[in-house]
Amino acid sequence: MIELPGTDLLVLHALRCGGHAGVARVAAAVGLDESTVESELIDLAVAGLVTYTAGGFNVWGLTDAGRTADAERITDELESSGARPAVTAAYERFLVLNPELLDLCAAWQLRPVDGVATANDHGDPSYDARVLGRFSALDRRAAVVCAELSAALPRFDRYRTRLTEALGRAASGELGYVTDSTASYHAVWAELHEDLLATLGIPRW
Amino acid sequence: MVRWIRPLLAEVEESAEILGAKAHGLVVLRRLGLPVPAGFVVTTEACRAFLREGRLPDGLDEELAAALGDLEAATGRRFGGARTPLAVSVRSGASVSMPGMMNTILNLGLTAEAAAGLAVETGDARFALNSRLRFLSTFASAIADTDVDGVAAAPDRAAGRSAEDEDEEARLADAIEAVQRLVRQRCGRAIPDNAARQLALAVATVFSSWDTSRARTYRELHDIPHDLGTAAIVQTMVFGNRDDHSGTGVAFSRDPNTGENIPFGEVLFGHQGEDVVSGRSLTRPLHELADREPAVWTALVDALSRVEGHYLDACYVEFTFQAGELWMLQVRPGRFVGGAAVRVATDLADERVITRHEALLRVSPQHLQHVRTPRIAASAEADIVARGVGACPGVAVGKVATTTDAAVRMSADGPVILVRPETSPHDMRGLAAATGIVTARGGPASHAAVVARAMGKPAVVGVADLIVEVADALVRTGGRAIAEGALVTIDGTSGEVALGSPRVTTNAADAHLRRLLAWADDVSGDRSERDEAQRLSAAHAALRHA
Repeated sequence: MIELPGTDLLVLHALRCGGHAGVARVAAAVGLDESTVESELIDLAVAGLVTYTAGGFNVWGLTDAGRTADAERITDELESSGARPAVTAAYERFLVLNPELLDLCAAWQLRPVDGVATANDHGDPSYDARVLGRFSALDRRAAVVCAELSAALPRFDRYRTRLTEALGRAASGELGYVTDSTASYHAVWAELHEDLLATLGIPRW
Repeated sequence: MVRWIRPLLAEVEESAEILGAKAHGLVVLRRLGLPVPAGFVVTTEACRAFLREGRLPDGLDEELAAALGDLEAATGRRFGGARTPLAVSVRSGASVSMPGMMNTILNLGLTAEAAAGLAVETGDARFALNSRLRFLSTFASAIADTDVDGVAAAPDRAAGRSAEDEDEEARLADAIEAVQRLVRQRCGRAIPDNAARQLALAVATVFSSWDTSRARTYRELHDIPHDLGTAAIVQTMVFGNRDDHSGTGVAFSRDPNTGENIPFGEVLFGHQGEDVVSGRSLTRPLHELADREPAVWTALVDALSRVEGHYLDACYVEFTFQAGELWMLQVRPGRFVGGAAVRVATDLADERVITRHEALLRVSPQHLQHVRTPRIAASAEADIVARGVGACPGVAVGKVATTTDAAVRMSADGPVILVRPETSPHDMRGLAAATGIVTARGGPASHAAVVARAMGKPAVVGVADLIVEVADALVRTGGRAIAEGALVTIDGTSGEVALGSPRVTTNAADAHLRRLLAWADDVSGDRSERDEAQRLSAAHAALRHA
């Protein structure tokens, strides 16, 4: 049984995959309460791995040392658990779904009217329902990939929870949870993509 | 008996429903006397049979063999032959447009033996290997439903020959091996080294691509029936990578940004098709063709004029030129929007190509919303340094920032344009801080495009030649270096990036729009104060009930 990594690594890695974020967003990403996350962040800052930007931003981010430390520990976790083949296979299946997800996000934002791509003003519930229906269909296929990832490395389980929550909220009328908010389906998906690249050590160009 | 195949000849009369829109366009080009590589189309009926039965229909094999025999006779080449080998392209083409959803396979038939034959014939081993690699990688992408370009990017044809050729040949051979290994790994079997089997597999693969979940989703969203199917077009290859007088490009008969009556597009010297459309390579503005290949340019301008004469509208074409000879690969109406649609419709009426009534019907009231979107004014002064795909309309002016950190820091002093290779969650702060966004990679559904629209910020994505050098805090594009902090203006409609702050207009098509609306009032007989969309809609209603 592979276990979750320590809270410190979870917090560090959340910043690696999600970019700069406030305590609340990191807490939502890792599924821990804010006070636990904040004390981890302070410890990581003392170790020189993360840094706080005040002045209205009030966000935490990785230092160069933090990025290096995260890469080492995440690679170590991957190799010591023997999860690389399973994560690689899941990543390939993710890549098949990724363009479709992006198509859906684009369709949520723009719809063709008389051949002109026009901003979706969400005034047509039947169109939105159709797009969300396709999101659900894609999400069912994504769930299979997420399950494979969670079986290989349990920390990936958070993505399933967060994707489900985003879609649920969108379906109940909180439309910002599709593409707009930092907890939107698109945002969580993009973090999952970044996590897969980071975990497998695949550089963006 | 059902016939599954039609030749691409002027006398073919079937509709786009049977031939697919792309093959139908090729037949039109043939009728116009324009140069189209010899070929044939496997119809949408064959695709529907394939989708029903899960295998290629009976009799297709024989028809394929016969059609290839005709191609061999027409070209004097042998399919899969060790000498003067015939290579073909296999492209999908449904009766409706589904951009980027389905497959294209180039240089099919270049087995190991045929590629060796091509090397002997041309005396250019690198060209032959390059072409075989392109065959394997496009085929692998299609059958493994994955993008293998990362494994073996089909290399550019470097200018001139040199002592590096041998190294280059070794590198190509390695890349060829890597793609084949990948296919064995992913698919559990190798790409057949037999031309006829390659073709049958390619046709089946194109047909299957109709039913990928991504394609199904696209059809659901766009109200396209699932049972139409796609055709598969098989044509003699023309090689845009053949020599220094070869290349490929796309062209509009008029400028799709403004509607102005001048050819507009991109050309890529020394490359094969797909490279332009995929946005992966360095394209040049179309007019450079006039200087470098004047004969090709003259033939292209003539072709654009003839296709406009047929479609009575601005048109879009894809073309390749091999050893200085032009070949047309696709044609369709231009589908302009916004101010460009208004201008083309009024100009065509003034040119007496269409009637004023037809001009009115060509412009949707929806287009009028977009006529007023701010745009970089077309002028000689605008110093356009890069061109990508407009992903979120509007104009943004600001200083170049090459990293999210720089964007956040610099935004305290004024507007910033974030310029990145592509974006990821790491760039969210920068995207939030920036006034506009430019990326090198990605299309209209990329991460950057989705986020830009969510934030309502003008964005240009897919600037293929853009290089972001974070270490030196500068970006390179179009042979120019632009330092961080330099002022640029981006147009999220046209995808243009200009240095400095050129004039911005919200009524580029104003004069044309006023004339069109005057015609609208003539038709409706109503000259009361109303908004523009209402004036146009009233004319549409009157014309439809006339």
